[in-house]
Amino acid sequence: MVLPRAIVPPYLLARIAASDHPRFTHAADAAQRTLLAPRSYRPRTRLTLSIDGDTLVAEATPAPDRTVSDAQGRTRLPGVTVRREDDPPVADTAVNEAFDGLGTTFDLFSQAYGRNSIDDAGMPLRATVHYGRDYDNAFWNGSRMVFGDGDGEIFAGFTGSLSVVAHELTHGVTEHAAGLVYRGQSGALNESLSDVFGALTEQHARDQTADEASWLIGAGVFTAAVEGDALRSLRAPGTAYDDDVLGRDPQPAHMRDFVVTEDDDGGVHINSGIPNHAFYLVASALGGRAWERAGLIWYRTLTGGSLAHEADFAAFAEATLATAAAEYGEHAEETAAVRAAWTAVGVLKDDPTPRA
Amino acid sequence: MRVTVTRTGGIAGLRRQWSAEPPDHDVPHWVELIGDCPWETAAEPSAPRGADMFVWRILARCPVDGQPVQRNAQLQDPEVEGPWQRLIDAVRDCDAGSSAC
Repeated sequence: MVLPRAIVPPYLLARIAASDHPRFTHAADAAQRTLLAPRSYRPRTRLTLSIDGDTLVAEATPAPDRTVSDAQGRTRLPGVTVRREDDPPVADTAVNEAFDGLGTTFDLFSQAYGRNSIDDAGMPLRATVHYGRDYDNAFWNGSRMVFGDGDGEIFAGFTGSLSVVAHELTHGVTEHAAGLVYRGQSGALNESLSDVFGALTEQHARDQTADEASWLIGAGVFTAAVEGDALRSLRAPGTAYDDDVLGRDPQPAHMRDFVVTEDDDGGVHINSGIPNHAFYLVASALGGRAWERAGLIWYRTLTGGSLAHEADFAAFAEATLATAAAEYGEHAEETAAVRAAWTAVGVLKDDPTPRA
Repeated sequence: MRVTVTRTGGIAGLRRQWSAEPPDHDVPHWVELIGDCPWETAAEPSAPRGADMFVWRILARCPVDGQPVQRNAQLQDPEVEGPWQRLIDAVRDCDAGSSAC
C-alpha cells in the first residue's frame, strides 16, 4: 500500500492512536493502522565498519535520501531532477550547496538528537533550486525546500548559507513534530525554532562552541551593496543589517518591544527575535557546544508532544522549563539558565519567591 | 487612480512596497487589469501554507462606473498567478519606471 502525502500529520495520528477514550476506539484503531502502514519510501541507512579487538563491528545509522531539482527560472514545482542521493556533484554550485546543506542539517538532527529526517522515519529530503526569476526568497512549501537565486542587487542567493538551508529543513521538522500554526506568537516560535536549529547546524558542522559562533542567520545572502551582515542575529536581535534601502533590522530582543502587525503573518519573522535571544542566553550561560544541552532542551520541547498548535511564548517557555527539569533536574544549572533567559527577555516574570 | 502592492514575509521578513499612478490616457488599461482580478475571494487572508512564503497586500483605488472604488486583497505567494501576477508586475514595472504608465 502506498500512502499519499498525509493530510493528518504524524503527531496527531500518534495522539489519536494513543487515546484510550471509549468514544475514540475506532479512531484510535484507524490511526494505529495508518501509522503502521508501510510508507512509500524506505529509510536509508549508512553502514559503518570498525574493528574492536578481534571483532568486526558493523553499525547502521540513518542516512539522508536527497533529491535536488532545478526549476530553471520558472515557478513550477518540482522542476527537473538534477542530483539524487548517490549521484556525484554536478557543475551547478546551487545544486551542490543545497544537496550538501540538507545532508549537514540531517547530520545535526541525527547525530545530536537521534532524529531520522524530517518525520523521524527517514522521509526523503527534496529541494528545488533556481526557482523563479530574480526570486528573493527561500521557503518550505509543506513538502520541499525551495530556493530562489536572488535578484543580484540585494540578495546574492540563498543556498550558499548553511543556516538558511537548515532553517528551511527545520520548518519541516517543526511541522511534523508540533504543527505550530504559522501566525502570531506560535508562528514566531516556528520561525525561531528554524533559526535556532539553523544556527546549531552551522555550529555542529564547524564544531564551534557558543562563544565562537556568529549566531547569525543568512550570513552571505546579501550582496556587497547592502549594509548588513545577515538576515538575523540571535546574539543581538535588531543589529543584523542597517541599510538605506532595506531599513534597519526590526527584530526585538525583549517583550516590551513586541511588534503588533498584520504584515508577515503577524510578524513571525520580527518577534522571533525574542525566543531567538532567549535561546542564545541559555546557550551562552551554559557554554560549550550549544547543540548539546541548550539544543537538546529545545529539541525535546519541540518533539515532546506537549506543545499546543497555537502555543504562545509563555507556554513555550514553561515547556522548556519542564523539559530542562525532566532532563537535568529541577535545581540543575540548565534549568536555572532556561528560567533566567526567559525572564531576561520578559517572557517570564521575575519570581520573587526564592526556590528551595 | 492608484494601486499599491506591499510584500512582507519571506525568509528575510522584509517589507517592500511598490505603487503606480497611471496617467489618464492609460486608465482604461489599468481598469481592465484591476477588473480581471477576483477581489471578492481575496479580501481576507487565507491560511498560510508551509513557511517563509511571501505575503502580498494589494490596495487599488480606481473608478468604476464613474465612482471611486477601493479594493483590497491579501494573498499568499502561491495565489499570485494569472491576473494577480499581471497586476503586480504592472505595478512593479511602473514603480521602477520601466513602463510608460
